[in-house]
Amino acid sequence: MTEPDTDGEPSSGTVGAPASQTRRLWLLLGLGLIMALVVAYVMVALNRETVRLSHPSTIVAAMSSSGEAVQSLGQAWVVRSNDNQFPTGQAGHLATLPDEWSKSQSGYQGAIWYRFHFDAKTLPAPDQIMAILIERACSNVEVQLNGQLLYRGGRMTEPYARNCYRSHVVTLPTHMLREHDNQLDLKIVGYPINRVTARQRAGGLAAVRVGPLQEIRELYEEQEFWTMTVSQVLGGILAVLGVFALGLAWVRRLDYLLYFGLLTIGWSMMTGRMWLSDVLVPNAGVEVLIAMMFAPMTAFAIKFLLGYAGQSMGAVNRGARRRQLNAVLWAQCVLLPISLLLAGADRLFIGARIWYVLFAFELFVTIGFFLWVAGKNKRTEFWLMSAALGVVSAVLGIELTYQSGLVRMWGVHVTHFVMPLLYAAVAVRLIQVYARALQTAEGARKQLEKRVQEISGEIERNFNQIAELRVEQIAEKERKRIAADLHDDLGAKLLTIVHTSDNDRISTLAREALEEMRLSVRGLTGRPMVLSDALADWRAEVVSRLGQAGIECEWRNPNDVIEEPLSSRTYVQTTRILREAVSNVIKHSGASHVVISAEVHLDHHDFVLVIQDNGKGIPLELDGRLDRGHGMTSMKHRAKQLSGQCLVESGPGFGTVIRLTLPLEIATMQQVLPTAMSGSSGAASMRNIARGH
Amino acid sequence: MKQILLLEDLPEIRVWLKTLALQVFPGAQISEASRIHDALELVNAVRFDVAMVDLGLPDGSGVEVVQALREKQPDVQSVVVTIHDDDDHLFPALQAGAFGYLLKEQSREQLAEQLHRISQGEPPLSPSIARRVIQYFTAQARQQPQLQPDTVTPHVQLTDRENEVLLRVAKGFTLPEIGQQLNLSRHTIADYVKQIYRKLNVSSRAEAALEAQRLGLFRR
Repeated sequence: MTEPDTDGEPSSGTVGAPASQTRRLWLLLGLGLIMALVVAYVMVALNRETVRLSHPSTIVAAMSSSGEAVQSLGQAWVVRSNDNQFPTGQAGHLATLPDEWSKSQSGYQGAIWYRFHFDAKTLPAPDQIMAILIERACSNVEVQLNGQLLYRGGRMTEPYARNCYRSHVVTLPTHMLREHDNQLDLKIVGYPINRVTARQRAGGLAAVRVGPLQEIRELYEEQEFWTMTVSQVLGGILAVLGVFALGLAWVRRLDYLLYFGLLTIGWSMMTGRMWLSDVLVPNAGVEVLIAMMFAPMTAFAIKFLLGYAGQSMGAVNRGARRRQLNAVLWAQCVLLPISLLLAGADRLFIGARIWYVLFAFELFVTIGFFLWVAGKNKRTEFWLMSAALGVVSAVLGIELTYQSGLVRMWGVHVTHFVMPLLYAAVAVRLIQVYARALQTAEGARKQLEKRVQEISGEIERNFNQIAELRVEQIAEKERKRIAADLHDDLGAKLLTIVHTSDNDRISTLAREALEEMRLSVRGLTGRPMVLSDALADWRAEVVSRLGQAGIECEWRNPNDVIEEPLSSRTYVQTTRILREAVSNVIKHSGASHVVISAEVHLDHHDFVLVIQDNGKGIPLELDGRLDRGHGMTSMKHRAKQLSGQCLVESGPGFGTVIRLTLPLEIATMQQVLPTAMSGSSGAASMRNIARGH
Repeated sequence: MKQILLLEDLPEIRVWLKTLALQVFPGAQISEASRIHDALELVNAVRFDVAMVDLGLPDGSGVEVVQALREKQPDVQSVVVTIHDDDDHLFPALQAGAFGYLLKEQSREQLAEQLHRISQGEPPLSPSIARRVIQYFTAQARQQPQLQPDTVTPHVQLTDRENEVLLRVAKGFTLPEIGQQLNLSRHTIADYVKQIYRKLNVSSRAEAALEAQRLGLFRR
């Protein structure tokens, strides 16, 4: 697999480097901008919330300054009752909104009535259609104006409709509005905090605003956009990203991409908790279901981060430790619902919080580990990832503190759109890494293709060379086999004739044939030899033959060693010519003295053998040519075959001179010598071939 | 009375060689064999003075028999009788302990002469064989420093004179010529040649033993 982090280095792609660098710069810039916007928005939102929470009475001032004709109803008369009408007779108390049940109505489950009084004429724009905006009514709300039912968010009996993440807009019909003392009753049903797993779903009512329908709708849509639309859109995007990541993981066999895909898909599924309002499942069941989703999500996140870190780490998370980690992560997934069910419906919140703190801790540790690894390896995305993970940590921190009730947030859920944005950023980074890897792979593939072509060309060449060698070897082997056959079969037969024939002539012929055969075999199988050695062989043979025939012999050899190579063919043919000449001397010349001189002319690339006897010479035939019976023709023919020549001078009384001139085979033999040598040098030349590339 | 081993697979040639042997060694007792197996049995049973061994046999190479003779009857004169005149065939036989070689196709007179000479301690030596021997000893000398000092067999070296004779043979001089050149008698030259053959055999056997030792076949 290609290490994606090295591809930006100058050593790789010479053409693509500047382009990819500028592109990366733009990407980083874009991501940085998004990140900055998110952080800025979060800060502004938090700031606005704190301002609003700490100074509820400044709303009017804020309104007048912004020029909005919307009034905030900050106080309500609060009565606990499950009645269908506001229970006028029952005891209640005045409460300032927002009213969190976890603080004011601890442990209460059921309905609570909120009554507001307002005068229509005090409204900023009495001539318009009025409406109220309920930013948050958890879990569901019913609105009555002057005793008339106006609006119901969903089922008001258990299990209540789950509208904690939604706002409500209720139009106030003009004919029902009185000039004075309008009674706006809100019946809120909800669960105490100990029966839910997130503070966002604990019962409560945020500020109620009243104003012209137009502006109320704008406000509503703004809030709806941030809390619902954005998270839904992001959820959809995340689902697509997740599927894409899964596909990539499948194609590239990358674990961390798999976990990232599961993480994003899981998150997008979890956004369903925000808009799935009417679920016919008991509240505790839904809460446990939501809570238990976080365990695998944490597992995926941890596995993703470790895998992504481990990509350049190699051995760290492998084997036993990895299995242990897996076991722990999966055990969490099982233990979380079991522990929540065992704890009981009344301790859901505390149980979930313990788990969430644990998960957050795990994530912090993993993030720290990842950043440590990434920093140590100087990975290019270190800053990007540390920024992203820093935001994750911040969001986790905010969420934790919010869940603990240390910070109060109404309406805006930072986590719901910051996290998806971060996922998107990471996904973009992953895709970019993939794209670059793809690019690198493509480049590598091209390079590889080129290399393969080169190598196959080389192989072809080598193969041809090897084939030639092999052919030579086979030829050599075959020659040896033929030689052995000749020896064993023909040789034996000729030998039998030599030694069993009564006829001297036949046995002589057979002997000559045998010698011929042996020379032929030698020509077949012989290795090239050095001229000096050939001269020595010839000398020994000629001298001993002439000596046995009683003829005095003088052999004149060049004194220095002549290293010129001689092919076995030339050796064999020359031997034949020499034998013929010597036989002639012995049989026909009647000479008593023979002088044989060998000369090597390196400048002419030839060597000369002169055989001179003091015999009676060869008689001329009628046609002026020398006697054919003395084998002169075959001698000349053989010499010609070797591109040499054989001159015979003879005359009655002054003997015979045979002058044999043959070319030295320096050029041709130097090619033959290395390959014709034995196995070891063959292997050496093979090695040379191999090393040559 | 001489005991002679005759190993030859062709019946006609065997008959012919037998007459040749009887011509050179009148009244000799000749044990004939046509296969290596038979020859090896004879080697175990009979003490020979001379062995005439063909190289190319149906069940292997006569070199085996030469080797067996060298080991069991070191005094026997093994003569290779062959139609192969090239050193590739002859050299291994000489290494194995053959004392000389005869080329079968020669006339009876020539063969008788040569066999007689060999039996008299005058083995032949051709230039190509001489070159092989020189090559062999040069390679040995080069290998020698690598061998362990505690080897059982001493390093075999040719004397200067033996080297001189070898070099001259290699250059194509006949043995009588060399005798004249060095002012040595025919017998002395023949002794040198015998020494060269003996040392070739000893060195080759030492080499084989060393090789065996290296392979762990022997215990030191």
